[in-house]
Amino acid sequence: MSMIGAFVVASFTAPEKIGANPQSMLWLLPLVAAIVVVYKATKLPEIKAGNFLKEVAILFGSIIVFIVIISLALCTLAWLITE
Amino acid sequence: MTPRSKENHVLFLLIVGLLAWLVPGAGHFLLKEKKRAIIIFATIVLTFSTGLYVGSIGVINPVGATPWYVAQIMNSPMVAGLGHLTTTRHYFVYGRPNEIGQIYTSIAGLLNLLCIVNAVYLAHLRRAETDGGSKCR
Repeated sequence: MSMIGAFVVASFTAPEKIGANPQSMLWLLPLVAAIVVVYKATKLPEIKAGNFLKEVAILFGSIIVFIVIISLALCTLAWLITE
Repeated sequence: MTPRSKENHVLFLLIVGLLAWLVPGAGHFLLKEKKRAIIIFATIVLTFSTGLYVGSIGVINPVGATPWYVAQIMNSPMVAGLGHLTTTRHYFVYGRPNEIGQIYTSIAGLLNLLCIVNAVYLAHLRRAETDGGSKCR
């Protein structure tokens, strides 16, 4: 096996180091993007680059905004209960 | 287009579903939806690979994480091979990398399930359209 091949295989046999910190929540962004892209690919009647990207951006933005609103509401609720 | 018999139609739907399961996007490719097929293939493979990169192939665990494995195997039957490899060679992964890896690979599988259902439904709709068209003539 070539050096590059061995490196690629090795990178899939050992996990990455990701701490349990708030920054690790950013891993949700690529996942949301993947969900949005596949969902829009199945739902749009016709795939045209411009329209597809616009639809993906709108849905991605909506989901992120909604997540932020929900997290702020939950933080406020937790603060009200604990203070 | 000549209308297919009912048996042939069911067989065609099965082939579309099976192909879509074997290779993400292949069902749409068979239905000549090439752009959709490329987008689905690239996104699902990338999401699944990201999950494997973050958590290693140890996230595919048919024994210790069966519910996750059910979702992961929706990616392709080839995942069963990886599952066999991880159970025999014992790749261990814990903590946040395990969680993120499992979520990514399982979501990729569930997205492929959505695409399988969509491809079969598209194939069925096309038959209904051609049948309706031939009856009108």
